[in-house]
Amino acid sequence: MTRIEKHVEKILEQMQSPDDEREEIREELIGHLEEAKWQYIDDGLTEKEAEKQVLEEFGAADVVGHQLQESMYPYQRGLLYVIGIGTILFGVIFYLISAFFLHNPIPVWLTIQLLTGGTVTLAAINISVVGRYAYVLNIALLVNVIWNGINLAMMEGTPQWQAISFSIYLLILIGLGLTAVIRNSYYSSGSTENKPQKRVRILFSYIVNLLFGLAVTGISLFFLWATLAFSVRPLEATAIILTISPIIIWLIAYKFQMGYISKKPLLALLTGLGISVLSIIIPLIILRLS
Amino acid sequence: MSRKMKNISFIGGVVFLFLLLWGAGSLADAPDGFSGFGQSTDISLDDNELVFSYYHNDDAALYTVPVSGGEAELLAKPDEGKSFLNPTFSPDGETIVFVEQWVEETEEDERQYSQLRMLDKSSQTVETLMNTSDYITEAAFAPDGESLYFLKASVYQNYSPIASERPHDFDIFRMDLESGETEQITDKQAYSMSSLEVTPDGKQLMYVTNDGQDQLVLHSLDDGTEETIVPEGDFASKAPIISSPTISPDGTYVVFSDVAATDENNTFVYEAFRMDLDTKQAEQLTSFYEYVSDPVFLHEQEKLIVTVDKNFAGADPDYSYWQISADGEERNRVTIEMPEENES
Repeated sequence: MTRIEKHVEKILEQMQSPDDEREEIREELIGHLEEAKWQYIDDGLTEKEAEKQVLEEFGAADVVGHQLQESMYPYQRGLLYVIGIGTILFGVIFYLISAFFLHNPIPVWLTIQLLTGGTVTLAAINISVVGRYAYVLNIALLVNVIWNGINLAMMEGTPQWQAISFSIYLLILIGLGLTAVIRNSYYSSGSTENKPQKRVRILFSYIVNLLFGLAVTGISLFFLWATLAFSVRPLEATAIILTISPIIIWLIAYKFQMGYISKKPLLALLTGLGISVLSIIIPLIILRLS
Repeated sequence: MSRKMKNISFIGGVVFLFLLLWGAGSLADAPDGFSGFGQSTDISLDDNELVFSYYHNDDAALYTVPVSGGEAELLAKPDEGKSFLNPTFSPDGETIVFVEQWVEETEEDERQYSQLRMLDKSSQTVETLMNTSDYITEAAFAPDGESLYFLKASVYQNYSPIASERPHDFDIFRMDLESGETEQITDKQAYSMSSLEVTPDGKQLMYVTNDGQDQLVLHSLDDGTEETIVPEGDFASKAPIISSPTISPDGTYVVFSDVAATDENNTFVYEAFRMDLDTKQAEQLTSFYEYVSDPVFLHEQEKLIVTVDKNFAGADPDYSYWQISADGEERNRVTIEMPEENES
């Protein structure tokens, strides 16, 4: 690999472009830099000197990469950092309060909190890898949103001023998480759609599909809570998995939905609704029959 | 810094943070045990003494204090980890029956115990009335003082994994204090049963149970027939939540605690209500705007002692005892000076 190629690879490391787009940028940048290099060689520099000169003028790889990322996917990476670090920070503060004021620290809770916050932060650090696996990133974000939603429900038990301030904090995190999922879905579809009308339709479809997902999650978690709260005997693991299976079904189906929405945004609303309803009904029937 | 280094240092940092917090969390103090007054009280027949439980670090001992207030006197102190609760004076005032509660931890789980005890006031000795694997919650003397009625639960468990464990399958039993023999009075295996009392004429038992909604039951000791009473009144909860009812010395009305309002945090405010036994109409008696419970009648005067919890929504209760007139017009706090805790 030449120095120029290495430099371009470093630039691409800062970007979340999918493979085809990445290849295009790579070719374009290398072409541009090679051209400039030959110009300097024509001017009498050696090849090494010319490369050095070109790369110095072009700018440091991480700076250029960052600028390119921001111009193509504005705020996406920053959003991930804010959500990830924000989730970790909440874990730290709430764990300390649980330990020293409520006298009831739960290490398992802290583990999950740091895991979900850490995963999103790692995604921001490794944006070039994650960009190629938009669906995986969405799963990490949605798990973060669901977990913070559960945290939000837990806040009811804390003293009033804490409950209010933590709830606001969590609502912001949840809002940011959902925004990141919608934007990520939109960008990942590689939508080069120029008609503003269709762009709006695609975005709208992403938002509504996500709302279906939220409804499915809410219903599942409510059922889980209700069965835990009101069942006489301790629940079997299979029953618990069946109760939350609509969430899993929906998350799996979202992989296909993500692509479908970008092609047929309005039809995808119908399939999204169908998947959401089925994801709830099928486990319900299994639960009834068993 | 290369991306690899960034990843390694971030993951290392988060792991370090977890260990740090985990360590800090395990250093945090376990919560202090509860210290303060207990919930239920009783008054001697001559209206001189009030008996109550007082917790020191989660363990409740029995004390008495003059009904008008003053310096409390230690009656009986349990072994560490145990509590003496729900005291009741015998009609002659010589003995006090109460329950002793404790938890025994085995390898698999922990087991709750709640047993009937009797304290001889003159000799200050505690006698075990019966030993049973069942869970006895409270007792009430017959007016002649010869027998004792008590509530016994045969199950102590949580019917759902997130509910706390509670006694269930209740029934009423009678113990002949002379012979020590017991007989079963009801056969209900009730989900809940509480506030057992014998009416002043000794002919009926009164208790609270829940059959879809809270209800007061009068159980005839002659033929076992039961009358169910659901008070009518201006309650802030949808259905009445009848708590700790007590019957007046003349047997004509009942004072109990129920939801009178909700405060700004949507917490129920419990006040004492007075219900005429003929009309079943309940009128609000107190306006503490707190959690009022456990009314007990004085025998010679038209007065009651009630327990008021000023920290109902909080983690630990903050009980105090108040003397109120039977019409609710007057109220005075029973000021109690607790003796210095004696470790002996």
